[in-house]
Amino acid sequence: MFVEAALTAATAAPTSPAGSGEDSATRPGLAHRLRGAAPPYLYLLPALACLVLWTYKPLVEAAQLSVYHWNLLPTSPKTYVGLANFQRVLQLPQLRGAALNTLWYVLGLLPFSIVLPTVIALVTRRLGERSRTAYRAMVFVPMLVAPVATAAVWRWLYDPSGLFNRLFGLGDHNWLREESTALPAVLAICAWQMLGFAVLVVSAGLSGISPDYAEAAEMDGASRWQILRWITLPLLRPTLLFMLLMTVLLSGQWTFPLIDVLTQGGPADSTTNVYYLLWEFGFRSMDSGLASAAGLVFFGCFGLLAAGLVKLADRFSFHDD
Amino acid sequence: MKLLYTKGGRVAGIRIEGLTRQFGSVHAVEDISMEIADGDFLVLLGPSGCGKTTLLRMIAGLIEPTAGRVLLGDTDITYAPARDRDLAMVFQSYALYPHLTVERNIGFPLRAARLPKREIAERVREVAGQLELTALLGRRPKELSGGQRQRVALGRALVRKPQAFLMDEPLSNLDAKLRTATRTELSALHHRLRSTFVYVTHDQVEAMTMATRVALLNGGRLEQIGTPTEVYDNPASVFVAGFLGSPPMNLLSARISERAGRLRAAATDLEIPLWAGSDAARDVTVGLRPEHLRVVRDAEGSPAPADTAAPADTAAPADTAAPADTAAPADTAAPADSTARADSTAPAGSAERARLRGVVTGVENLGGEEVAWCEIGGQPVALRGPRPVGLSRGDAVTLTVDLDQVHLFDRTSGRRLAWQPTADKPSPQHTPSTQRLPQRPAAAAV
Repeated sequence: MFVEAALTAATAAPTSPAGSGEDSATRPGLAHRLRGAAPPYLYLLPALACLVLWTYKPLVEAAQLSVYHWNLLPTSPKTYVGLANFQRVLQLPQLRGAALNTLWYVLGLLPFSIVLPTVIALVTRRLGERSRTAYRAMVFVPMLVAPVATAAVWRWLYDPSGLFNRLFGLGDHNWLREESTALPAVLAICAWQMLGFAVLVVSAGLSGISPDYAEAAEMDGASRWQILRWITLPLLRPTLLFMLLMTVLLSGQWTFPLIDVLTQGGPADSTTNVYYLLWEFGFRSMDSGLASAAGLVFFGCFGLLAAGLVKLADRFSFHDD
Repeated sequence: MKLLYTKGGRVAGIRIEGLTRQFGSVHAVEDISMEIADGDFLVLLGPSGCGKTTLLRMIAGLIEPTAGRVLLGDTDITYAPARDRDLAMVFQSYALYPHLTVERNIGFPLRAARLPKREIAERVREVAGQLELTALLGRRPKELSGGQRQRVALGRALVRKPQAFLMDEPLSNLDAKLRTATRTELSALHHRLRSTFVYVTHDQVEAMTMATRVALLNGGRLEQIGTPTEVYDNPASVFVAGFLGSPPMNLLSARISERAGRLRAAATDLEIPLWAGSDAARDVTVGLRPEHLRVVRDAEGSPAPADTAAPADTAAPADTAAPADTAAPADTAAPADSTARADSTAPAGSAERARLRGVVTGVENLGGEEVAWCEIGGQPVALRGPRPVGLSRGDAVTLTVDLDQVHLFDRTSGRRLAWQPTADKPSPQHTPSTQRLPQRPAAAAV
């Protein structure tokens, strides 16, 4: 008679009967287990607290305020007005101009947050370790200067008797006081300031691409241009989409301090953007309901934009492993 | 199908002359010269950091050499950019473009060469068919298994019919079973294409099984180049001897001296009579392959205890007396023959046998074979034979080996020593020994 051979000598022996019984006997008490499980959550607590305190709580409060009429004075009463604030926001005459300006800011910044950083990162990549670090540090420095200080310096440069006019022989053109040049002037400062950050991000993205691909492509007979077009740039796409997302979502905030210091939205609202508009309603006109409603509307719009871009990023990103 | 791979009469041998590469003060590759004939499957073999990958990358054009030349056919390509060299390379990581499908990956070299789309599609399909990738053409690399990725990388190299294939440890990311299968496939591919392969690996099995020639590198220098049989049977240096084989060649320190007109190598518990002749005493390293060692048994067929085997010169009869000795099939099959071989090298006609006495420290079961680890005069020695070798831990053993399977290396230079009989050519200074060093005469100065 044939008998199937046992796998090993050990499996023939019965498995330990003590198994689960012993487990429950030594199971620690609830308090003890909680104490054991707590540390990870404790580590998260500071970050979570900040997030709740500075983001979620204001968001909820903004939603509450948006249906009231209140002038921010603690002594004055809040009046419930329903969705009237939202109606007012959409009917605001300044909104159209501000939204359009915001779009200009985004479009104007894109070359400086994506195109130029990619070029700089690609060019400096071929440099030696030390000179590369030096160049990138030089490009990054403007990011470290406080926006208000930047604005102050650039205001002198833009002055009718300032350096730019003298340098380019433009007479006494008042850059920040002319409707046609005020927005580009603010844009230029912002671009100068964030270029370094963008270069840093793109450089990081580039160094994250394994050099094997470029070498393989070179062995495959591809020219430098082909490697750039077919290999490097497609693999850099996640980084570039991230920078696109940052530019779309944050250009309003990056330009805000410059607008506030240099033009206060003028002349004739030509440099204002949606965030500056919102701030004016809330803290100049003290119309907290209108400002909150506007904030929620912008939040929704930018949320949709972000979702679309993230979806795009997911579709076009290929992570190598 | 066959037409795809017939080369247009191009001669694509690769010649390397004095190639050197320094990284700072470190010589990654130092003064390497070799000729890789058209159709060779040359394996660059060595431990990590021996410079084999650097050498391959210099041939590929991905690293510029500090000195020396690389020639493809008659063209000097030392400083030609990689893209102009018409060499295909398979990377260790495969370097498949993650954003492209298998079809686009394989077709990439043709697309870079601006071939018409129809021709690209046709050739990609053909290669994919040969590598059984047709069903996977629409997939992206991350959706492939390791073996499939490896085949795509190979396909990308094949599709352009290059002058030579460069491969950088292409099998190291595969599991053992797949590696064995792929090894066979690569050999078949080389046989079919008849193109030049330069293949980097640290795996001696890959080198022995696939190569037509093996180049052993150590510390950036070329130790030996030859067919797998040559490098295994006649290692040019202690390094080569100790690198090849599993377990590798036993290397024992000994001293050669002359006694009564005969040379012998001796150390504690080791006595290897060599041949008639005379030479100054010198320190050597004796090399003995584990599979060439045989256990000397007493009349009952059990391993002879060290003490009883000690009485002089009974080894030869004891050996022939072992009737069903599975440990040394070659010897039992033709004992007379092995004696004859020994005699031919030792014309004095002595029946003296090499003798190593020691204790078994452990036995490893490899399945079909067993390796017995012994200690001989404080030096570890492995013996390998069909299972069972009939030894167990603690046994006292006496081992012997045929004279023509004894390798001698200079202790200081590590180079192989070959004996040149001096009878026909007497040396003027009365030191009849000639030390012929097979590979690099310059090393003899050491």
